[in-house]
Amino acid sequence: MSKSVQNTLSGKVVASAIRRRINILGKNSTISSAISTLIKYKIGGLLVVDEDQSPLGVVSKTNILGAYYASLPLDSPLEHLMTSPPLFCQLDDPLEKALGKMKEHQIYRLYVKDPENDSVVGALAYPDIVAILYEYCSRCPQSLFSQPPDSTETGIERSLVADCMTKGIKSVNMDELLYEVVEELTMHHMGAILVIDAAGHGRGVISKTDLILAYNHGVSLETPASEMMSVPIRSCRENDMLEEAIRSMIFSDVHRLFVKVPNSEEFSGVFSLTDAARNKSGSCLACISSRIQITSH
Amino acid sequence: MKTVARDIMDTGFHTISPQTPISEAVKIFKQASGKEGRRIFGMMVLDDSGKLVGMLSMYDILLFMRPKHVHIWGKMDDIDLAGIIDRSCEKAKSIRVGDIMSQEIVTIGPNTHKFMILDIMIKQHIRRLPVVENDKILGIVYISDLFYDVLDRFTDIRPPG
Repeated sequence: MSKSVQNTLSGKVVASAIRRRINILGKNSTISSAISTLIKYKIGGLLVVDEDQSPLGVVSKTNILGAYYASLPLDSPLEHLMTSPPLFCQLDDPLEKALGKMKEHQIYRLYVKDPENDSVVGALAYPDIVAILYEYCSRCPQSLFSQPPDSTETGIERSLVADCMTKGIKSVNMDELLYEVVEELTMHHMGAILVIDAAGHGRGVISKTDLILAYNHGVSLETPASEMMSVPIRSCRENDMLEEAIRSMIFSDVHRLFVKVPNSEEFSGVFSLTDAARNKSGSCLACISSRIQITSH
Repeated sequence: MKTVARDIMDTGFHTISPQTPISEAVKIFKQASGKEGRRIFGMMVLDDSGKLVGMLSMYDILLFMRPKHVHIWGKMDDIDLAGIIDRSCEKAKSIRVGDIMSQEIVTIGPNTHKFMILDIMIKQHIRRLPVVENDKILGIVYISDLFYDVLDRFTDIRPPG
């Protein structure tokens, strides 16, 4: 007899987490049109189809950043920059299998097909999985939010930001130019980077979203980072409860928080919705500790 | 009898630039609504050369303002929403009309028959269609104008005898 460890997502299938709305553009649609769609719908990528509506590829913020770097005109067709072919999972696939595929291919979304008719019926992305985790945890009687306000001890070991953050900080100086920022983001596969002053203090953040907006506004790649950075820096601390940090991201519409070490203004890493989704066990260890007793024969 | 786009289009249309900040666009929507005496929900976006490059509707603006994970809010009763709207407005400050406008635009010619216009609007879920000839914008047909035009004809029909 062996023990099987289950987590919050165990037993769930892709159908329970997908977004039914998918954003689709034709292969001849322009980069500018894709930027509008990504910004308006707050998504990281969209599906590109041919004249017969057959899926051809995916255009993500990363693809658009590449086009900005290469100085492609904004009216260039998407087929010139899309990643092809798109990757799919099935509606009835276990959620964990789909997550594994995303991790294996280092991608942030999968398109979902209905096995009955092979049509594309939705998309699965990390933030949607985090929303499920958060919803599950917030309903749980063991949840931090279910405890009386004056409760200090629940007897449950809770996850902290430090348990699943990405450690280490990459930064650019305020006077570095946008093309150097693009290079840093691309080289390190990051969605955003800290902008620091001469004394090494964080002053702002530049995300891929900021950069594709700069592209759409005709901003030169020779522009200093200080002119495009967003302020304030959304942050949390290493010793914050995971639930609190996830809640902050979900309700503030941000994808990541920069993490400070306790009792200091020094940054030590980044905690993103992607990190939270990879953690999979929800926001405390109650699920794992209670379900670890489940045995398989 | 009014049968084609030219007959029912609104020629007193309002336009906006892709460089206009969204906060300014909302003011322009309000001003246009005041001038027209009716709510304006969408505008044509023209570039510096006067070319039609997109349409901006209130729906586009609301889509952008909507928090991404709002679908799970309704299932929770412990949410403190203070400051959420201000934060959303703060985010909109760097956004321009050209960043969220719809760029895949359907246009019609001045001689497009009104039932053809109706068909396009229904099939493609469009509420307003620019009327364009030789790259020049002549007017815009709103679904409400089309509705009342058809309805007026319908109610004008007298029973025989």
